[in-house]
Amino acid sequence: MQFDLNLWYRTMYSRAWVRIKSTYGEPVWLAVNLAVPLLSSSAMALLYRSAGLGNYSGFAILGGIMLAFWGNVLWSMASQFNWDKETGIFEIYLVSPAPISAILVGMSLGGILATVPSAVFVSLFGWVFFSVSISPSWLAVFLTFVLTLASLYAMGMLLSSLYLAYGREAESLNNAIGEPINFLSGIYFPSIGAGSPFPFALQIVASFIPLTIGMDALRKSVFYADGIRAVWLNLVILAGMAAILLYVGDRALKSLEERGRRQGTLVVRLR
Amino acid sequence: MRLLRAVLAAAWMGWKREMEWTNPALSLVIKTVAPAAAVLGAATVYWFGASFAGQFTAERLAYILVGASIYGQVAAYAYVPTSAIAEGKWSNLYPQVYITPTSSTPYLAGRCIASFADSLPVIAVSLAVSYYVSYALFRVSPTLLVSLRSILMVLGALLASVPATLALGYVLGSYSIFVSRFEWALPSYVSGLLMIFCEALFPANVLPYPLPLVAELLPFTYLMRACRAALIYDLWPAYVASMGFLICGGLVFLAIGIIAFSLAERSARGKGFIDKKVM
Repeated sequence: MQFDLNLWYRTMYSRAWVRIKSTYGEPVWLAVNLAVPLLSSSAMALLYRSAGLGNYSGFAILGGIMLAFWGNVLWSMASQFNWDKETGIFEIYLVSPAPISAILVGMSLGGILATVPSAVFVSLFGWVFFSVSISPSWLAVFLTFVLTLASLYAMGMLLSSLYLAYGREAESLNNAIGEPINFLSGIYFPSIGAGSPFPFALQIVASFIPLTIGMDALRKSVFYADGIRAVWLNLVILAGMAAILLYVGDRALKSLEERGRRQGTLVVRLR
Repeated sequence: MRLLRAVLAAAWMGWKREMEWTNPALSLVIKTVAPAAAVLGAATVYWFGASFAGQFTAERLAYILVGASIYGQVAAYAYVPTSAIAEGKWSNLYPQVYITPTSSTPYLAGRCIASFADSLPVIAVSLAVSYYVSYALFRVSPTLLVSLRSILMVLGALLASVPATLALGYVLGSYSIFVSRFEWALPSYVSGLLMIFCEALFPANVLPYPLPLVAELLPFTYLMRACRAALIYDLWPAYVASMGFLICGGLVFLAIGIIAFSLAERSARGKGFIDKKVM
């Protein structure tokens, strides 16, 4: 099938629009999405305060902001095709001319825009209640943020392909991997480099997670005014990860889709 | 007798749903990984913050390990009643339970008891794992007093928390009857707020006044205190006092929970919510 840019763009736009409309058209969603990042980061900020280092509460608030996006990747990207399969939408995707990659990218963009209010609210909450002071290098912050999201959502695309092969195990897997990734990636504390409690080997393992590299660069650029010169390696790694994960995700999706067609598991529903 | 049989049947069903959707050993591993990682995450935040502030103590590390491990169980309770009712409405199980002679009150009790039972090994494993990993990472032994006596005291405290657990189940169950979407929202908020208010990670006096008073009203705060009195401080009087508050507070909350659930069910029947679902 020849690549049709117009069709790809329209599919991507439609999928993103559905996600944005469903979130902003239902304000309760905003409150729902806010619970975990807001309360977890508040608890960690209070833990920093109780440990005698209240001025590090900013690490917890930054963690909460990124947790909002990571939660969106886990629950609204990785699991999405599995849920779509259960409700019969996935087979509609397959028989339509819509490119699956455009659906995934649309889902990602829609997910990012739908998560922005949670991230903004957590930031404001941290600023007002924990008096978080920052010393940002804005260009580095912007680039790091964009590349971290790109690689995280590319990871979500890969996971969504893998979860397609699973049934209800997907939800349990999501529950199981969320916290270990939060821990290894140092969402609330440095897990790589200076200040990390992890042995070198574990830091290497943790570095394979895009969130680890992103959090490290974000902490440096948000709190220590480290510019692009200081975080360029993180940026290069994040860009590389995004490209590799996108490619692998696309291949995995095609391969699992083909396997699903042969085994007849693409249209298996729970109800 | 009929009531007890209904509770046991629901507990058995809850166990099957939570633990036997796959191999039970694998299910236990999957259930334990997340709480253990969360406990380690909190311990590392403390280590990082307190080391830089020069205030790190092994006793405080133990405080966090115990609180965060027990909190894992409390958080799990928040989701079970919602799952029992929201999923039950979706799969048509809840309306069928509702029309049985014993109706849904013992059903919810059974599901909460199953959650209590399957959380016990999760607490034990996540506490043990986080203890050893903390030692490996921070080179400090958290001061935990592990003996038959302290383990029995913790078990006693966990058993004493059953009324409070059931109360939480009934209150969240009352909410779940009426919602067809966003049913996970309230449990997420409740479990998050309990993390802050029930002294899971830090003493309530860290919170600005009058918020510490909220902690004093929650039975789960006394569960944390009783477990710490047993496992860290070896303080029998503090343990007994916390157990008293835990049991009395739990019973009061349970009475409120059952009344709220009965009223909610009656109102839901009148408004046609019992079998309402959104696909």
